[in-house]
Amino acid sequence: MTAIFNSTSQMMRQVIYALALGIIAIFTFFGWGVIVQIVLAVVVAIATESLFLKIRKRPIVPAISDGSAVLTAILLAVSIPSIAPWWVVVVGVSFAIIFGKQLYGGLGNNPFNPAMLGYAFLLISYPLQMTTWAGEFVNFSQAFEVIFNLSPADALSGATQLDEVKTQLALGKMMSEMSAHSTAQAWVNMGFLLGGLYLLIRQVIFWQIPSAFLLGIVVTAFFLSLSNSEHYLPVQNHLMLGGTMLGAFFIATDPVSASTTPKGRLIYGFLIGMLIVIIRTFGNYPDSVAFAVLLMNITVPLIDYYTQPRIFGKSG
Amino acid sequence: MLNTLNNGIVMTNPYPVDKVEIVQAPLPDKVVLPLQQRIGGEAIPCVAVGDKVLTGQVIAQTQDAFCVSIHASISGMVVAIDEQIIPHKSGLKSKCITIQSDGKDVWIERKNYGDFLHCSRETLIEHIQQSGIIGLGGAGFPTHSKLSKSLDCHTLVINATECEPGIMCDDALMQHYPREVVRGVEILLHISGAKQAIIAIEDDKPEAYQSLLMFNHNDKISLVQIPTKYTSGAEKLLIKTLFDVEIPSGGFATDKGFVCQNVATSKAIFDAVIENKPLISRIVTVTGDGVVPNNFAVRLGTSFAHIVALSKPDNKQHNIRMGGMMMGVDVATLDVPICKISNCIFVNHTRAKPHVQECIRCGQCNQVCPIGLLPQQLYWHAKSEQSKRAMDYNLRDCIECRCCDVVCPSHIPLVAYFSFAKALYHKQTREKHKTDVARERFEFREYRLERNKQERAEMMAKKKIELKKKMANDKVQKDKIAQAIARVKKTKQDKV
Repeated sequence: MTAIFNSTSQMMRQVIYALALGIIAIFTFFGWGVIVQIVLAVVVAIATESLFLKIRKRPIVPAISDGSAVLTAILLAVSIPSIAPWWVVVVGVSFAIIFGKQLYGGLGNNPFNPAMLGYAFLLISYPLQMTTWAGEFVNFSQAFEVIFNLSPADALSGATQLDEVKTQLALGKMMSEMSAHSTAQAWVNMGFLLGGLYLLIRQVIFWQIPSAFLLGIVVTAFFLSLSNSEHYLPVQNHLMLGGTMLGAFFIATDPVSASTTPKGRLIYGFLIGMLIVIIRTFGNYPDSVAFAVLLMNITVPLIDYYTQPRIFGKSG
Repeated sequence: MLNTLNNGIVMTNPYPVDKVEIVQAPLPDKVVLPLQQRIGGEAIPCVAVGDKVLTGQVIAQTQDAFCVSIHASISGMVVAIDEQIIPHKSGLKSKCITIQSDGKDVWIERKNYGDFLHCSRETLIEHIQQSGIIGLGGAGFPTHSKLSKSLDCHTLVINATECEPGIMCDDALMQHYPREVVRGVEILLHISGAKQAIIAIEDDKPEAYQSLLMFNHNDKISLVQIPTKYTSGAEKLLIKTLFDVEIPSGGFATDKGFVCQNVATSKAIFDAVIENKPLISRIVTVTGDGVVPNNFAVRLGTSFAHIVALSKPDNKQHNIRMGGMMMGVDVATLDVPICKISNCIFVNHTRAKPHVQECIRCGQCNQVCPIGLLPQQLYWHAKSEQSKRAMDYNLRDCIECRCCDVVCPSHIPLVAYFSFAKALYHKQTREKHKTDVARERFEFREYRLERNKQERAEMMAKKKIELKKKMANDKVQKDKIAQAIARVKKTKQDKV
């Protein structure tokens, strides 16, 4: 049975609802920061998009109400550290909307995932702010003060597990000597996983990209840890740390910038998963969903052309 | 045994009725009969304005192999042969014959064929052509043309699926004329020489299935119920569902030994062969939220308005559509005639068109495409008028069923883009062909001029040489003369 959606906006709303569980998990463990970031991001996204639509002389209300800018904003807001200063999210969201989307002609025409383009831009430009995560629950006034630079972030901050593992490995420690587990991150990933399953059931997204994505991670991580289990993260940690589930169900499945053929989606998802593990392991940055997705975005036209489905009455 | 269609959409009749009836529509005051048919050239009238015609009389004919004869559907007088609006999406006018009814409906004397089993296949095929029968399912492909290619077919498929939601004229036909339908199928079996006939009915029409079952005593004919799903009635997809045979892209069902006929066509063939009645009427469903849905047996050429008026339309603004809600065409006015292919008239309240949003390549369209195309990619290329690229993505195989239109969350009229891209492609190929021919002609002319020039130059050079030779010869001669003169002079001087 095929799901019939009344509008593109309805699909976008479904995705936003599905993000709720993951956001609740982030909120539970890291506090109010994420809420402040989301509100800030959404406001900036709507403002930037409206401004650009005005410059481009396009109708503003229909484009804003399709929900795509809001979705981009929320995805970026949950990706960045919840205690990052306010200007990080402002710069990131406006970059995502302007350079990720509007300059290409708006929704449907962007070759790159706008949220991830914004994220990559931020990570390269402000590595310090982008890797300082909240180490504990942050209450509303603390979050407000830290984000708006009224008090220093140091007191609240801590590194992420992936970052920690990297540092430890660099110091020559073995996998068995440290704990690569993070309950908080596992819960956040679980939240996004459940939200993703909801999207699958509602047929907003199709199974190919998330499954191939996760399979790509599992296969690559499995072979790496098989080669040297003392040196590489085990499979389950790759799945439950960082932005894995958010990436698998919400980022890589952005239909505009993803491959659109059923077979192509499998290839696209698998290679993103593979790239994530490779960049996490050998790259300089702690997490790599953004880079993996952006790299694979480039290959989409090629994948789509060579993975056209067999059509009725034609062989091969 | 059955292979359910992979894609397509399950759709139920949006305007169901308790009991499927057929109402005999009263004779219209006048009928308008278009001369242009779906395929082939325009028929040439063999009556003139002022002529009296009888019901069933041939009024226009062609030599075109694809065309069938056109018959008067009522008796009366030809009052006009001129351009009239016909039910076509272009809304263009086409040449039509208008007959004013005398109210008597007097039939022309009909030739009797007797037992069809004694007639040869050629005789029957010609008779079908003479009786004006074309496919009544909606596409209007001439029946005789299909039958004449059916010589090597092993299976006759009777398409009684009626998969377009809302239409119920075939359902009504099967419930009210089961004997005629089955007999028609027997005639088709005789003509095609097929070993078996399968009547395929969607399982949302159990009454039709039962009534055919009751009248079918021929063990060559079997009835099959197939799951209700839109596009199951498309010829190639139906064959796939029934026999798991795929007709190759660009090929015909007859290539694989199947010949497909619509169930209403079968009844029309019964009328033509057994009753000797040409095709002058058909059953039309009138449905939609602006009327009380019903079926009408109506003479061809009757205006839409005539039968819509019988269906108790309400006073709201209506949107009129001929054919199915999926593949039909919108018509601008009710003042168009019912044609052989007019199986249904939708009278719906005019609604605001949904807001069209950008394509986000979500792929919902690809999920339902019965052919397995990628409408999202086709749209991308069609929108940017890259028709060649769209053809690379198999645009040619699109059957324009509009499943993708229905599921598109952005409400993009995809099929409209596709038919435009197809037309553009054909135009470009034609133009390219034209320019290719022109370029070749030009290049040949250049070559010819160059060649002439060269030939002339060579000739001139040759001539020059010859002339020189001749001149040289002349010089020798002149010298000889001069010498001779000199000699003579010398001898004269010597003498002196």
